[in-house]
Amino acid sequence: MYKYLSNIFEAISTLFTGMGVTWGHMMKIRKENVTLQYPEERWPRPERDIGFNMENYNVIRSRLHVDIDDCIGCLKCERVCPVQCIKINTVKVETKGEDLTDISHTGITSNGTKKALIVSRFDIDMTECCYCNLCVYPCPEECIYMTGGPNSHKQPIDYEFSQYDRNDLIYKFAKDVEDEKMSKYLPQQKQVDE
Amino acid sequence: MGIVHGDLMTLNIGPQHPSTHGVLRLKVKTDGEIISEVEPYIGYLHRCFEKHCENVTYDQVIPYTDRCDYIASMNNNFGYAVAVEELMKIKVPERVEYIRVIVAELNRIASHLLALGTFGLDVGAFTPFLYMFRDRERILDIFEVLCGARLLYNYIWVGGVSHDFPKEFVKIVYSFLDYFEPKIKEYNEILTYNKIFIERTADVGVMPPEVAISYGVSGPNLRGSGVQWDIRKNETYSIYEKFDFDIPVGSGIMGTVGDCWDRYYVRMQEMPQSAKIIRQALKAIPEGNVHQALPKKIRPPKGFIYKRTESPRGDLAYYIVSDGSPIPFRLKMRSPAFTALSVLGEISQGWMMSDVIAILGSLDIVLGEIDR
Repeated sequence: MYKYLSNIFEAISTLFTGMGVTWGHMMKIRKENVTLQYPEERWPRPERDIGFNMENYNVIRSRLHVDIDDCIGCLKCERVCPVQCIKINTVKVETKGEDLTDISHTGITSNGTKKALIVSRFDIDMTECCYCNLCVYPCPEECIYMTGGPNSHKQPIDYEFSQYDRNDLIYKFAKDVEDEKMSKYLPQQKQVDE
Repeated sequence: MGIVHGDLMTLNIGPQHPSTHGVLRLKVKTDGEIISEVEPYIGYLHRCFEKHCENVTYDQVIPYTDRCDYIASMNNNFGYAVAVEELMKIKVPERVEYIRVIVAELNRIASHLLALGTFGLDVGAFTPFLYMFRDRERILDIFEVLCGARLLYNYIWVGGVSHDFPKEFVKIVYSFLDYFEPKIKEYNEILTYNKIFIERTADVGVMPPEVAISYGVSGPNLRGSGVQWDIRKNETYSIYEKFDFDIPVGSGIMGTVGDCWDRYYVRMQEMPQSAKIIRQALKAIPEGNVHQALPKKIRPPKGFIYKRTESPRGDLAYYIVSDGSPIPFRLKMRSPAFTALSVLGEISQGWMMSDVIAILGSLDIVLGEIDR
């Protein structure tokens, strides 16, 4: 009988201790509100002053973006990607470092490197991307980066980049050039003698 | 009155069920309300982790290890990095070791918060779940400041970390610890010593130490059975021998040694210990270059390594066979949650249907790691 009553007493007392905690939280709900009203309020990205030159390091994970004018087609990002979501095709150009206006190709990158290759295809399939950031580190021209954060002056962050069609999530960064104009720069196929 | 045995009824729980912590199917044979057999069916989250690793280079494996135990990615990265470094005989700088310990212990706190919160949710306590997720969120924010990602970090690399701490980072971690340590008392008040919670968990699902050891259970589940076994102390790796911390073990305060409440309480006691390690590490962290020991090309010599580390779920080990090429010849991951799930059938026999959910919650399994 004593055990029965003490059990009831213990249950009620511990219940009220717990209720006390929730009551305390309920009273300061306005002060310590942790819920974010999402479509109206946006998630604040943390300040990323990481102590050294911020432009060299990109510590944000969001959509990948490529400044195609700066890309030299070195394929380093394609090789390092663990899921092979980056696909790059390049064409060798004879006039190194010169602008080719007909296919809107820039000859010199913003770092001053002369480009020896035309990037004819630079596709990133964001449905496959695992946001590991590994492609960002080896880029010699710092032209592939994730949007927002330290790069928000170049490309503001996308909070949501959903699409109705899966194919719309394959981002094509290479210049949209007609095949006829491009064929001028493609390597000539040798005619096989009959 | 003797027990009346009727026909057994087969009952399916899952694969889609909120209490199975992922996609797990349990085939339960019940005799009335009493469980006579539980058989877990796994493999719904199988992603060929080990076969994938035979096709990518050593540094590309790290994002895949993130996705095994997605609650504690830092610890997975850590274990893999330590294994490959030992195979390659790389000595990493002192600062890197401290950084790794700090982030791994922070992630241990985050993982235990999730485990305890969802355990409370399984037995019907909703409020502590919200409180624990609120505090776990703070740790995820810290990691977001650190490496941009909130869950899958790819932060600890072979031979170092991807980048150094931000300027104000130490201050942020201190402020988190100051905020977090008093919260333990709040959790204890609202959940641990609640009589209803004790009635649901104490004396339920007792795992005797012999059973735990024979099944290979490790981590908090083993310590809950009263066995003092922690890889951080018993087979020390990285710089854990420099820190002063205790290993809490289950003592059966509320019931029997090795019941659900003990497993719960071991995790609760481990969180302040992790905070203690972080405080010591933050105080002693030296200056240095974190990229100093990063190898240009990861090409381990011919050989193999079996290295185990203490993840929040227990004894996480990597077995790596190298044939001297930049791609692992074979990579095997020994996941602690897998062994924890294997013991479920043994310890849930004879309990009620609703106790199976409590036992499963107290084992703290992550299906991503079980199926890999």
